[in-house]
Amino acid sequence: MGIVEEAHNLKVLGSGDRLIVLAHGFGTDQSVWKHLVPHLVDDFRVVLYDNMGAGTTNPDYFDFNRYATLEGYAFDLLAILEELGVDSCIFVGHSVSAMVGVIASISRPDLFSKIVMISASPRYLNDVDYYGGFEQEDLDQLFEAMGSNYKAWCSGFAPLAVGGDMESVAVQEFSRTLFNMRPDIALSVAQTIFQSDMRQILNLVSVPCHIIQSVKDLAVPVVVSEYLHQNLGSESIVEVMTSDGHLPQLSSPDIVIPVLLKHIRYDISTA
Amino acid sequence: MAVTSSDTHFLDIPDVVLTIIFSLVADTRTRNAMSLVCLKWHLLERSTRKSLTLRGNVRDLFLLPTCFRAVTDLDLSLLSPWGHPLLDSFPNPLLLAQFLRHAFPSVVSLTVYVRNPSTLHLLAPQWPDLRHIKLIRWHQRLPTLPLGIEFVALFEHCRMLSSLDVSHFHCWTEDLPPAIQAYPMLAASLSQLNILKHSSVEGFKSHELLAITASCPNLRELLATCIFDHRFVGFVSDETLLALASNCPSLSLLHLVDATSLSNVRPDLNDDGYTSEDASISRSILCDVFAGLPLLEVLVLDVCHNVRDAWPALELLNSKCPRLKSLKLGQFHGICSGVDSRPDGIALCHGLESLSIKNSADLTDNSLEAISLGCPKLSKFEVLGCKKISAKGIRKLTHVLRNTLVDVKISSCKNLNVVSLLQTMEPIRDRIERLHIDCVWKNADNSVKQTASSNGETRLKKKNKSRDNSFCSRTWSKLQHLSLWIAVGDCSGERRPCTGSLGLRYLARYPSLSRMLLDCSGVIGYGLTAPPGYPDLSLWERFFLYGIENLNLNELNYWPAQDMDVNQRSLFLPAAALLAQCGSLRKLFIHGTANEHFMMFLLRIPTLRDVQLREDYYPAPENDMCTEMRAESCRRFEDALKSINRHIPD
Repeated sequence: MGIVEEAHNLKVLGSGDRLIVLAHGFGTDQSVWKHLVPHLVDDFRVVLYDNMGAGTTNPDYFDFNRYATLEGYAFDLLAILEELGVDSCIFVGHSVSAMVGVIASISRPDLFSKIVMISASPRYLNDVDYYGGFEQEDLDQLFEAMGSNYKAWCSGFAPLAVGGDMESVAVQEFSRTLFNMRPDIALSVAQTIFQSDMRQILNLVSVPCHIIQSVKDLAVPVVVSEYLHQNLGSESIVEVMTSDGHLPQLSSPDIVIPVLLKHIRYDISTA
Repeated sequence: MAVTSSDTHFLDIPDVVLTIIFSLVADTRTRNAMSLVCLKWHLLERSTRKSLTLRGNVRDLFLLPTCFRAVTDLDLSLLSPWGHPLLDSFPNPLLLAQFLRHAFPSVVSLTVYVRNPSTLHLLAPQWPDLRHIKLIRWHQRLPTLPLGIEFVALFEHCRMLSSLDVSHFHCWTEDLPPAIQAYPMLAASLSQLNILKHSSVEGFKSHELLAITASCPNLRELLATCIFDHRFVGFVSDETLLALASNCPSLSLLHLVDATSLSNVRPDLNDDGYTSEDASISRSILCDVFAGLPLLEVLVLDVCHNVRDAWPALELLNSKCPRLKSLKLGQFHGICSGVDSRPDGIALCHGLESLSIKNSADLTDNSLEAISLGCPKLSKFEVLGCKKISAKGIRKLTHVLRNTLVDVKISSCKNLNVVSLLQTMEPIRDRIERLHIDCVWKNADNSVKQTASSNGETRLKKKNKSRDNSFCSRTWSKLQHLSLWIAVGDCSGERRPCTGSLGLRYLARYPSLSRMLLDCSGVIGYGLTAPPGYPDLSLWERFFLYGIENLNLNELNYWPAQDMDVNQRSLFLPAAALLAQCGSLRKLFIHGTANEHFMMFLLRIPTLRDVQLREDYYPAPENDMCTEMRAESCRRFEDALKSINRHIPD
């Protein structure tokens, strides 16, 4: 087993002409796609992997410098595609991993035939004329909790702060899964996510994008998907599902799976 | 040091006697210590060790010790990674199966996790003299397997089998009858059969039960789940029971348990304690059944549907089944009226040593008194879900039976609360060894804080030599096993537990408390995706486990709370963090999953020797898509646990 395969718990399932890569969001692992995979394996080859830093990976492989920005994760994705000898794939990314896919597609647009983004956002922190959903004060509480977990963990005490402690329900919704990692990695990942701002590069994207989100996702307001649609350099299409929550593929599979299958199977009409 | 006057030394005892002495020692750690004394003791210990549970990672199987050749009872079900197909990961599995045989040539009793039939195809031929086998599988049976193929693989090679236990083995009920019928000689010599399936909620249909028992006329022990609800196909009727008794007249142990009884949910009875449907069992047929089983010593009829006016049949039990020592009845009514304090009904079974009464709607304090007078040998008594009894009745019973009772369990009886219950235990306080009570605090004033809301329950069981008790100044000097059921409130709509905790730190007053079973699997909530207003499992974990580091626990079995939507029972950050603080823990078994990052927290515990994730609930998560702990992660964790850098004090 190659190092890339082993480190990312890489799996290739199913058979078919086209290849789909499923990328989970931070704090979860590839099991978040468990409801979707059975619907895909008959018609597609499905690639599943765990992001470095996910609770299921070896924490020793987490390079804090490499993963200080989302580019580090994009490099991992490209390494996986190269390891598998993929020449073209459909990329389905959840949450921050959707942005990782976008970054990868800017450097290697030939590898991606389309990108399906679920609950994605280019920037979480509000800005002048931009509503990302989070205010600095909300995030301060999160970083305080993560910081105290980190200190406790380093000193041999019990890190006990969890997402459910947060006052802001948006932060709760988004960060609940972030506490599933080792405290030092969790803190680093949280900083990376909330410092990232992908707005400037959206116009460099040339791969068609399917933007999918829940109508009620406290972490990703619906205006964000509209922003993405307006600013992506490639053609894009938005679908807002009646589900709620940031992990709709787990919490409402009946709603989400048909939508995902539709966007995977069919392309944006250019007519 | 005083010099003894005699010259004889322990080693002067003749070998034959030493061998007998050694073979009486059962505790594993003691045996391990004995084998370190000198070479002679080492050889003696190895030659008298009859029972062995293999732990370790299956890929290290080539390191298997070959000194345990005397082992007759071998347990392979706990090899790591738990629940994986035993030899599938090897290029030459047959070689390893033969190696197992070489290392353990004398095995006659085997326990093994059978993830798929290949395990049995490889192992069954290695021990053709096998007498007893217990198969375990919590994962689902592959639907593509032909019926009975696993049993056929077993019966084909192990023709001397006399005891089969599939109580924790998930298969279809249709798998067993054809296999049993295909090997009539084996079936005829089968004496113990345990098909009381905990690993799924199916019961055997009536025709399946009869097919099996017809082929096994020499059964002495039969435990089976079945269907007593007459609305279902294959329900147990009068004819079934009669035929069963006539098929297997030599039965000394019979358990017939309705499949719904094993689902671990507290019964949903109407206000009077009766189920909506009656069982189709008439009492006259019961009389005939008892008459047909004269050798009966242990009987469990957990019917879950009303059997009314059962007293005539129960009175006959005494004369028809004179050897009966242990009886459990579920949903039987009219078992003892206790009018005028004269023993009637079940109280006439004066040979009973163990009695368990579940959901008997008309059991009263008078009944309890009659039972205590009529069954003077009772050492174990259980009463569950009986709404009409009160503390007065229990007190009478414990008083009359104060010289014999050592094991009492009282649960779900709504007129009883903890304070009054503990007072009823007064007469047996210094002889009781095992006790279970529900911690229901209503109508009692108490100093323990109220816990807040969720719709769930926890069950806290522990082994304990209790030194002191806050309710009475006398001590519980013989109490070894204490089991508590704690309801964590019942108002819904509350999202978080209150900022207190379950109060585990109060258990720190029992310094010799060393083993605990903490079962939180009754709490249902949401792990990763908590909709607003619904319980978030990581908050609950923190609530349950807070304070656990104050106890001197050696061994902990922990069942995490469940996210039923995604069939996940897992450790989250608070659990991993709090468990890692238990500085004296040697053994930790988590009945669920956990990811690698959290498992690594546990390496902080300096004394930790043995950890395993056991998903022994049905259905066990099927594959990597559902489990956080992948095989590689398991290997890394176990390597780290064993690494020589860790200095283990003892």
